Amino acid sequence: MTWAAWRLQRTETLIAAAILALLVVILVPTGIEMANAFHHDGLSACLGQVTSGSCDEAVHSFTDRFHRVGGLVDWFTLVPGLLGVLLAAPFVLDLEHGTYRLAWTQSITRRRWLAGKLGLAVACALAAAFSLILLVTWWRAPLVRIDGRMDNGVFDSEGIVVLGYTLFGLGLGAAVGAVWRRAVPALIVGFVGYLVSRIFVDVWLRQRLLSPLKATWKFDAPSPSGLRHAWVLQEGPSDRFGHFVQPKVGACVRAAKGGARLLDPGCLSHKAGFSMHAVYHPASRFWALQGIETAIFGAVAVGLIGFAAWWTHERTG
Amino acid sequence: MNGDIALRADGLGKRYGSKWALRDCTLEIPLGSVTALVGPNGAGKTTLLQLAVGLSTPTQGEIRVLGGSPRHDASGILPRVGFVAQEHPLYRGLTVDETLKLGRKLNPSWDDGVARERIERLALPGTQKVGKLSGGQQAQVALTLALAKRPELLLLDEPVASLDPLARREFLQSVMEVVAETGTTVVLSSHIVADLERACDHLVILNQAQTQLIGPIDEILASHRLLTGPRTDPATVARVHDVVRESHTERQTTLLVRANGHVYDSCWQLHEVDLEEVVLAYLGQRSITTRSFERRREAVTA
Repeated sequence: MTWAAWRLQRTETLIAAAILALLVVILVPTGIEMANAFHHDGLSACLGQVTSGSCDEAVHSFTDRFHRVGGLVDWFTLVPGLLGVLLAAPFVLDLEHGTYRLAWTQSITRRRWLAGKLGLAVACALAAAFSLILLVTWWRAPLVRIDGRMDNGVFDSEGIVVLGYTLFGLGLGAAVGAVWRRAVPALIVGFVGYLVSRIFVDVWLRQRLLSPLKATWKFDAPSPSGLRHAWVLQEGPSDRFGHFVQPKVGACVRAAKGGARLLDPGCLSHKAGFSMHAVYHPASRFWALQGIETAIFGAVAVGLIGFAAWWTHERTG
Repeated sequence: MNGDIALRADGLGKRYGSKWALRDCTLEIPLGSVTALVGPNGAGKTTLLQLAVGLSTPTQGEIRVLGGSPRHDASGILPRVGFVAQEHPLYRGLTVDETLKLGRKLNPSWDDGVARERIERLALPGTQKVGKLSGGQQAQVALTLALAKRPELLLLDEPVASLDPLARREFLQSVMEVVAETGTTVVLSSHIVADLERACDHLVILNQAQTQLIGPIDEILASHRLLTGPRTDPATVARVHDVVRESHTERQTTLLVRANGHVYDSCWQLHEVDLEEVVLAYLGQRSITTRSFERRREAVTA
């Protein structure tokens, strides 16, 4: 059974491997370059200290230099869905081509066949997802040390959520394919479903998984250390109770050279009584959020794969 | 008695949505027989065979294959049944050798000698992708896969439908050789009646989801007669014999009857019939009764 399942999934597994190899080819050179630059510019010494002018400059020049590639990597969040639906293809093709009638009339039961086929797909999906996580995490390590990893674009490809995403893509492809029995449209619908779900979670659900923290601090004081590398949902001027307000700044405008006008932070804080307020998830919640989101995607994926197996077992033939 | 029966259907029915694909099917296929399952497309042949191999479950009634339920005792029954589905599906991306390996991996009772010997005799290239083979060669690969299980019962769904006449003859030849060597029970469905007479010894006629005629071919041929005579109402004949089909010209009446004993009436000329005539008569009869049924229904609604 294992050999049969592997042989019938070989092409898709090799395509998945080729996609990962392509990412390696793209990322390894820039990753090495970035790590060298980080080391060479002495950025690690800068981080975690009171910022000084030269450090700021070094950090800025570093982020400017690698900003574009970093943005490219944000698109890699599509890859888990792609790998997932791709690995669902052999299962759906078996139904589309009618070859399940050959497989299920050998000596093994259809239950074993389905378990073997879907089980191998799950194993390959997890292996591919794990490789992707290792690659992107290694590549982005210097950027994470500067900016943290709580922002959506980064959070999506670090930690363990990618395992959940990939299984979810696989489950969607298999479930739609089990009912539709056409590989190409089922996998396209599966991928679109993956995108919609991911956007929903990124934009709406994730920030609500845990209730965010709040902080209020004096307008002219530095932001509290809890906000460092945090995922800030909202930040702005407030009254001293933390209610966001539209500051009336008239009295605190100072004329500067050349006719420009500047706001005096000390004036805003003491005379106008403004504070700053932020709603945020601190960086320390990274693993908690990762765990919850992985559990959600993982559970839905298990449900979808189970549905695909059940539907095929009961409704086919 | 159970020991002599390879396949037994009892009130078997299968419904897809609101349409019955097979209904009230009761039949017994004896061990060691080679049975032709004949009927037009959509008559329920595929449904019956898929029920027999556990690919689908009955809506009503039950089917027992080699003494067990093909769906509920799947792990006990499947290794003893060889099945070639309609259009002999194969994994087209696999080579012939890989296809045989697949069979070896999925069947504990696999006999590699049987498989190798057949592939060599047919001169099939082992490294060739199955999808690149001709239709006849693919059918042979599928048959090899089923035979190397050493099945007690071999079920073939329209095995020759997609083949040209030469490949059709070769395929049936292969089946007959296997029967001669191993005594395997064979059920094969076909909508082509020609060729079957030589290969099969039992006949089941299916039409519009129902069985029309079941029995050994020699008995069927012995009991059916074609009567021709002057134009007349067949009612007299129908009192003694079963009239399967009647046709009339201005002067002549032709009846195909299932004779209960001899036909004594001297006004009829008796002719022997061949299998194809019998099958066509039964398939035609069904449409006659359906029409008269519709007429009755119209009369009722009017």
